[in-house]
This record gives sequence, structure tokens and C-alpha cells, in this order.
Amino acid sequence: MPTESAGLSAEPPTVSLPSVNSRAVGAVLEPATFLVVAAAVAVAEHFIEGPIGGFGPSAFWVAFWAMAMWSAWHWPAAQTLASSFSGNHLAMLDGRPASPLTLAARELTRAGFLYGLPLLAIEKNIVPVLAMMALSGFVIAKAPGRRAPWDFVVGTVVIEDFGGPAAVIERTEVHSVADLQLNESRNRQNVRARALVLAFGMTSVLVSALIVWSIFSEAWEFFAAQEFSWSSLQGIGWFPRRGIFDVWTLFIGTLWITGIAIALAGPVGLGVAFYLSEYASPRVRRTVKPIIETLASIPSVVLGLFAISFITPQVLQPIDGSIGFASLLAAGLGVGILTVPIIASISEDAMRAVPMELREASYGLGGRRVTTSLRVVFPAALSGISAAFIVGISRAIGETMVVYIAAGGSGGAVLEYDARNEGQTFTAAMASLGAGTDSVAGVGIAFQSLYALGALLFVITLLLNVLSDAIVRRFRQAY
Amino acid sequence: MTMTEFAITAGVKAASGTGANDVFTVDGLNVFYGDHHAVSEVDLAVKEREITAFIGPSGCGKSTVLRCFNRMNDLIDIARVEGTVRYHGVDLYDEAVDPVAVRRRIGMVFQKPNPFPKSIFDNVAYGPRVGGRKGNLDEVVERSLRSAGLWDEVKDRLSESALGMSGGQQQRLCIARAIAVNPDVLLMDEPCSALDPIATGVIEELMKEIQSEYTIIIVTHNMQQAARVSDRTAFFTAEIDERSGQRRGKLVEFEETGTIFSNPGDERTEAYVTGRFG
Amino acid sequence: MHDRQTVSLDSLRARRGDDAAGHVFFLLITAAVGLAFFIVAAVGVDVVVEAWDILANRLWDFLASPSSADEAKSGVSQGIRGSALIAAFVILTFPAGVGAAIYLEEYADDTWLSRLIQVTVRNLAGVPSIVYGLLGVAVFVKGLDGLTGGRSVIAAGLAIAVLVLPVIVITAGEALRAVPTPLREGAYGLGATQWEVIRTQVLPAALPGILTGTVLGVARALGEAAPLLVIGAVGFYTTGNQDFVEQLRGAFTALPMNIANYARLPAETWRGHAAAASFVLLVLVFLINLVAIVVRARISKRLGR
Ligand SMILES: Nc1ncnc2c1ncn2[C@@H]1O[C@H](COP(=O)(O)OP(=O)(O)OP(=O)(O)O)[C@@H](O)[C@H]1O
Ligand SMILES: [Mg+2]
Repeated sequence: MPTESAGLSAEPPTVSLPSVNSRAVGAVLEPATFLVVAAAVAVAEHFIEGPIGGFGPSAFWVAFWAMAMWSAWHWPAAQTLASSFSGNHLAMLDGRPASPLTLAARELTRAGFLYGLPLLAIEKNIVPVLAMMALSGFVIAKAPGRRAPWDFVVGTVVIEDFGGPAAVIERTEVHSVADLQLNESRNRQNVRARALVLAFGMTSVLVSALIVWSIFSEAWEFFAAQEFSWSSLQGIGWFPRRGIFDVWTLFIGTLWITGIAIALAGPVGLGVAFYLSEYASPRVRRTVKPIIETLASIPSVVLGLFAISFITPQVLQPIDGSIGFASLLAAGLGVGILTVPIIASISEDAMRAVPMELREASYGLGGRRVTTSLRVVFPAALSGISAAFIVGISRAIGETMVVYIAAGGSGGAVLEYDARNEGQTFTAAMASLGAGTDSVAGVGIAFQSLYALGALLFVITLLLNVLSDAIVRRFRQAY
Repeated sequence: MTMTEFAITAGVKAASGTGANDVFTVDGLNVFYGDHHAVSEVDLAVKEREITAFIGPSGCGKSTVLRCFNRMNDLIDIARVEGTVRYHGVDLYDEAVDPVAVRRRIGMVFQKPNPFPKSIFDNVAYGPRVGGRKGNLDEVVERSLRSAGLWDEVKDRLSESALGMSGGQQQRLCIARAIAVNPDVLLMDEPCSALDPIATGVIEELMKEIQSEYTIIIVTHNMQQAARVSDRTAFFTAEIDERSGQRRGKLVEFEETGTIFSNPGDERTEAYVTGRFG
Repeated sequence: MHDRQTVSLDSLRARRGDDAAGHVFFLLITAAVGLAFFIVAAVGVDVVVEAWDILANRLWDFLASPSSADEAKSGVSQGIRGSALIAAFVILTFPAGVGAAIYLEEYADDTWLSRLIQVTVRNLAGVPSIVYGLLGVAVFVKGLDGLTGGRSVIAAGLAIAVLVLPVIVITAGEALRAVPTPLREGAYGLGATQWEVIRTQVLPAALPGILTGTVLGVARALGEAAPLLVIGAVGFYTTGNQDFVEQLRGAFTALPMNIANYARLPAETWRGHAAAASFVLLVLVFLINLVAIVVRARISKRLGR
């Protein structure tokens, strides 16, 4: 008999312990319950004019209520405050014993989360919602030792009840390989877990395959379409709805945007990287870096708005009055702002990866900080810095919303070499096509031209990413 | 390269003769990390309820050999083990053997104390719990902590984080944690190297105390420690392989501790224990 | 020339102008940092100034009303609702992202399969967001229209979730990699299986980092507009007496779509609406980032690092 189970046979009846696993499962199951019930109620409501069909988003609320109830009864992980005082419990918060006060604070947060969040979604019929929430709250509060997996989000409260004494693990003699085998259920669990995460890993491959398939099949139809001829690729501009697909126009626009963006983000990003890696003390770095990172978290639509409401009137128009409401220049600067944190952070990583000994050697020879930065650190980090620029370029090419908002050219664009005028890039052209009402049908050559552009964009950025990856890999081997 | 080229001393042969109370018998053990042949042709036998010490200069493969005893090397992708390691006569590297079951019986204490970021109680209860033990583990925890001589110090703060303990306490907690699954063997890889002399003394005493229950193998750089606690000592060294130019670890001598320190059979051993080398 | 014994203190002292290049360089990089700071501040100030009219006079009304053609009534409630639903879809992909990260970091050997997954994840992270819109139209809008109802918030949510997935995989992977080896070895040494080690040691230790990644993914999802544009988010729509499913499958919009639409209206009078919507979006994104920072601070404390 395998020894693992031999030791288990004399096991006393126990309370099943909630593990980290059951909390994680709870956090998934609770929303899942919600979705299933919501779907069921909604379907019922859809077909039966019944008692629950009376108020608007009833499905949402019934499901929400069901979810709360589910939590209340099926999730025995956490216990009430009171049990943290009793002897046979350990009230643990993040691996430390929790004071009742902390538990109470957590409880408030949790309740706020559970009952406050849905308030955001309220559009009508607040009375039944409030009634249901009150009911749920009452039930949950009255169910001792049970808490919702929202704790998973706001903090983990685990109070474990150890039940009766556990059996002692006995030493058994080893006579053959059979005595050195894992108990079946643990083994199975191990194998299944691996299969599960592999399946999740495969989703990314599936997504890639879907992207490639969906884009290239439609793009192919574009090139195969009757309305399309290679001669329609040259012309006076990009007017897909009139069958004029002058890609050159978009190429010039993209070139301008990317060029302007890098012209701004390159020096600024590098400067920031030098400052953070070579000049800033750890304390200064801790304050400066988050501010730079803030730049990365500004949504691009907001920067699009910033381009037309600040960059154009406050920066560009004072310099050149002929610049209009929308221009490639303003859009390029907006995209540049987005690119700064990318270039800064990747370059900084590359500079910090330069071994300290190199710098010390330079200082030892009497090199000043500027000499060390430019003559020692910069060359050593050059491959990483080039990778940063490539990623920045790739990001600038792929940026959509800033250009869509700030470069004008809705519906099409005339071939334009002057950045002070309106224009379009690959992405902005796609956005305009997508936003146009006539593409809603999802058919026709204008719609397919969207995919032809998408394919082009995909290939360009893929190549850039592969290139930067290759550079980074070589650079890693160097140290 | 044949075995004869790696001349094995008579002492090693004598010590590795298979006896009834041998816990481990190692035969022709070779370990590779990728194409680095790190340890070559080790033969030895570890006796039950004895403390066996591994000594030798840095990089000679002591840890590598030690980690073969509970198949910890399986966790390193590039590591490859050749030869046989028998545990009570059962080949540990047999395909049917599960390393998890092996590690349950052959516990390990590491160089740097590595308590889990949990409470003291949960640290000790961890092994029994993953082993499927349910219910109240108070008794198991108390017994393990007592064996590790830690009970009186921590009994009032079992629910506090283990990370708040001193280094010596943490290491004893790691011993208690290993004992809690009631293993047969304890492997200790330089358990005292991160500790001060007082904490070291405590752990050495502890080892002597629990020796009646466990077979212990300890790797140490501290020659006095090996002399003080161990019954038998294995001296390893690393030599440059002429063909590959790599450093390759080998077992030089395996003898009763007294012999190793007072009357070694090999001059390299003598040079090392008298401090003239390594 | 100085004799070795008689080096004067003066000669060791840096002289003015000696390090002109150094000063210029320092000035330049400080200017770069200053410019970055200025931009952050300017974006904030600009948004607040432009939006002031609405923020000061009708903030709650703005939050609670749907878009309309009437400037005095138009608001972003539909956008908030759409963005919240999209965020919900992103949260649902969290297990898939973490699962993939666990596979890559903990299980994957160096096989062609794991390398394929690794490469696709990395490249997916670099694909421009608008391409995910194309994917959304082809797969979720057209392919699965029975489920999604065509150009709906379901299709948009799925597309954005797919967009954020590689972000979650990568940040979760980093969090898993940061778990110290001794922790794993300790657990293995006590006879835990690989899955037990992951479940009981690695995941709890990496959890705050993983959550940070997810939270940042959600923040990213909230700001993403390009795919929605292609999938067909509309400027505004009217809600009839639809039930929940009809709403999910019907016309939709999102906060960044509101901003883009307001900003592109030719009349500058709508600029304030765009700015006010931006203000709401920025506040949401920064609140979410704040959560991420707090969570990260806790990991270091808890793991005693
Ligand atoms: N994970 C690993 N990957 C590759 N090589 C390794 C690895 N672990 C050890 N080695 C190599 O194997 C050889 C033996 O190492 P080992 O750690 O066993 O030595 P040791 O005798 O324990 O040394 P120390 O006294 O410093 O702990 C060394 O040359 C080392 O570089
Ligand atoms: Mg070692």
C-alpha cells in the first residue's frame, strides 16, 4: 500500500479547510454564478412576460442577488469578527494575525465594495435594487463564518478552524519503488493543473491565429475584388469610399507622425533616462519615476484632446498662424508625448543594466559624469536604446486616437507633404472607416480596405517587434 | 574517463561496503549541469542514525551530491544525474519513484533560513497540510517545535509572522518544519553559515539531540563543526579536468570523523583539514 | 608642474568652466525631465480648465445623463456604463492570463510549444490596438453575432479583453518570476507537488503583483478607444425600454468614445464636454493606478523585503 495513504487512514472527521485555492476559485465562481443567473433570467424575461419582467434591468439584479447568496452559503473561508477571539481559531490577514480592528476595517471596505459598486450601474428603478441589496446584506450578515470572495480583492481574511487533532504521520519502511509513489489524487491534481494552465497558454496562440486569419482573409478579398486594381493605388489621395486607395498618402502621413513623435520623444526620453539612471539619487528617482510613468497612463484620447485644445492654440499657432484646427504637426507632438515614457523606461533599463564596474573604471580614470554617461554608459547600452527607439516607432505607427482626433481628414485625405496641414495615417484612416456609418454593414470594398490596411500595419509592427526583440536578446548575451 | 583514473582510496571502499543499516548507498554518481561535468564517480554509503558530514572547498559539488539524495536536482532544468543512489535499497532514480514522495521522507534544511511568509504555526503545519493532513495540527506543531528546541521561545506567538524571528530561530523553525512531516533523513546544506556562533552552537546541540531519531547529512565549511558533530566525514575536492578544463568535483576520502581529522589516508585531505589548502 | 609633495588644494578643486560640457549636459537632461513634468501638469491643467464650466455647474448631471444633441443636457452616463461593462469583461479574462503566465513561468520546458506561446504573447503585446478592433469585427461581430448581437458591448468587451490578455500574462509572469527560489525550494523540500508549491507559496507571494498587473490592464482597457471605433461604438444612442440582454446586445458607447466624439465635433463649444469626459476618465484611471500602487507597497511589506 502506498505509504502516503496509509498514514491517512486513521484520519478523524475534520472541518474542511479553505485554502488559497478555494478563495481564488470563489473569486471566479462568484462572477460566473452572476453571469449564468443573469443569462438565465434575461432569457426567461425575454420570452415570458412574467412577474419578474416588471422592471428594467431585473436580470442584473436578480443575478447579483443570487451571487451574493451563493457567496453567503458556499464560501466558508472567513469567519465573523467574534471568532478571532476564540481559542481554536487563528485570524490571519496576509499571513499575520489580524486585530479585530483591522478585520472590522476590512469588513467595511468589503461591504462598501459589494454594495457600493452596483450603485454605479443604476439607471432606473432604485427601489427594488435597494430592497434586494438590503435583503442580501441581512442574509450575509446573519450567516456566521461566511464571507464573499470580494475579500479576494480588498484583502484576505482567513480564519481557520482546525477541528479535531490530526493524525500523526507515521514512518513506514521502504522496501520497493511502490513505497515511493505519490498518492493518486495528489498526482492527478498535479497533472490536471498543468493541463489547465497549458490550455490557458494556448489561448494566446489561438488569438494570434485568429488575428492573422481574420485580417488576411479579408485583406485578400480586397486585393481580389473587382473594384480594385493596382492602378487605384495611385492617385490624389485616400478616398476609400470613392474607390481611391492611394496608400502613398497614408504612408506620408504615417511618416510625418512617426518622425515628429520620435523627434520629440527621442531626446526627451533619452534625457529622462540619463537623468534617472546616471544622475538621480535613489530618493529623487523614487519621486521622478512615478511622474514619468503617469505620462504612460494617460489615455490616448485625452492626449488627442490635449493636442487640439492646448498644443495647437498655445504652442503651434503662436509660432505659425497658418496652422489650422487640425494638423499632422499637432497630432505628431501628441503621439510623441505618448512615446516619451516608452523610450525613457526601456532606455533607462538598458542603462541600469550596464555593470557598475564599467562606470567605476571610468571614474577611476578621472572621467567626469558626463564623460562616463556619454562615452561609457551610452555605448554599452546602445543596443537596448535602439530597441527602445524601435518599440517607440512601432508604438507611434500604431497609435490611432491622437491622430484621429487631432490630424483631421475624416472621410479621406488629399496627398499632403506639408505637416502643417491635415492628413491621415494608416491607423487614422482605419478609424475613420470604422467610424463611418456606411461601414456598419461590414461589406463592400471600403470595409475590406480597412483590413488591407490592418494587414499592412500588422506586418510592419510585427517586423519592428521582432527586430527589437532580436536586438535585446543579443544585448542580454553581452553581459 | 574510467574509475581507476579517479583513484579511490582504500578508506572510501571500506566505508562504502553495503551494510544492513545503510540508508543510502551511492554508486558511480555523476552529475552534469548542461555540459559541465560537476561531480564524477562518487561512491559512498550513509549509515542509519549517524551524522555524516560533507566537507571540501567551495564548488567541489557537496551541495550537488546532497541534492541528489532527495532529488532536488530535478528542479534544475539542466541538471542530469547518472549512477545509482539507493535509499534502503530502492533506486531513487527509478522511473516509478515520485520525487515528491521521496522528499516527504528525506527532508532538507537550506543554507539560508527560508521560512514561508506565514505565521510560525503555519510554517510548521505546512508539510502535514500539503501531505493531506486535516484537522487540528496543534499537537504536531508543538511536538516539532519542541524537538527543534524552539517551543519555549515561540509558544506565545505562534500566530506571528515567522519573518519576525531572529536568523537562528528561523533556521530552527526550518528544522522544525522539516521534522513535522516525520522524515527519515534530514539533509542540511550549510545550516549554520548564516548564523552567529551562539546560534550555531544551539543548532549543533540540536543535531546531536535528534540524532537518535534521524539520519543526518550535513554540508559544512566549518571543520570544527564537522569534527564536533559528525560520526563520519566525506572530503570532496575539485580538480581541473585536463581535457575540458572544467572544475570537476570528486570524493577523496570517506572515513570516520576521527580518522579524517587525526589520521587522514590522503594527503589532500590532510592539507585541507590542517588548513594548508582550500 | 606640481611636485608630488606640494599639490596645492587649489589644483584639486574643480574650477568654474572646467566642466562646461558636464554642465550643458546636465542642463539638457534636466530640461528633458522638466518638459516631461510640464506635459503632465499641462494635460491636467488643460483638462480642468476646459472642463471647468461643466465640472463647476453640472458635474452630477453630466455623470448621470446620456449623450444628447443638447449641449446643456449631454452627459456621459452611457459611456461610464459601457466602460464598466468592458472592464468587467477584462476582469473575467484574468484567470486565463494568470493561467498562461503560470504555464510559461512554472511549467514550460524549452519546447517548441512553450516557445511558440512565449513569442505570440510578446508579439500580441506589440500589435497596435486598432488591429484588435479588426479581430473583434471579424470574430465577435460577424462570426459570433448570434451570441454578441453584432456591434455590441459584448463584442467590444471581448475584443478589449483579448487586447489586455498579453498585458496580464506579461505582468503576471514578472510577478511570478519575482518569487524567490528559496521559497519554492522550501516547499518542495517538504514534499509538496509542483501544483501545491504554486498554489500555496508561489501564487500567494505573487498575488499582489498579479493584481497590480490586472489593475493596470483594466486601466488600459478603460482608456482604449481605437478598437471600439472599428467595432462600432456610437456617439450616442437612445435607450428604450430594453431589458438587460437587449442592452448588452444593442448599441453601446464608452467613455473614451464619448471623448473622441465630443472632441471631433466641429463646434468648439463641445470642447468642454470632451474635457469633462476626459476628466472623469483620468480620475478613474488614476484611482485605479493608486490601487495598484497601494497593493504593490503591501507586497514588499508582507514578504519582508
Ligand atoms: N544550478 C546550477 N547550474 C549550473 N551549474 C551549477 C548549478 N549549481 C551548481 N553548479 C556548479 O556545480 C559545481 C558544484 O557546485 P556545488 O554548489 O555543488 O558546490 P559546493 O561544494 O556546494 O560549493 P559551496 O561550498 O560554495 O556551496 C560548481 O562548479 C557550480 O558552478
Ligand atoms: Mg553548497
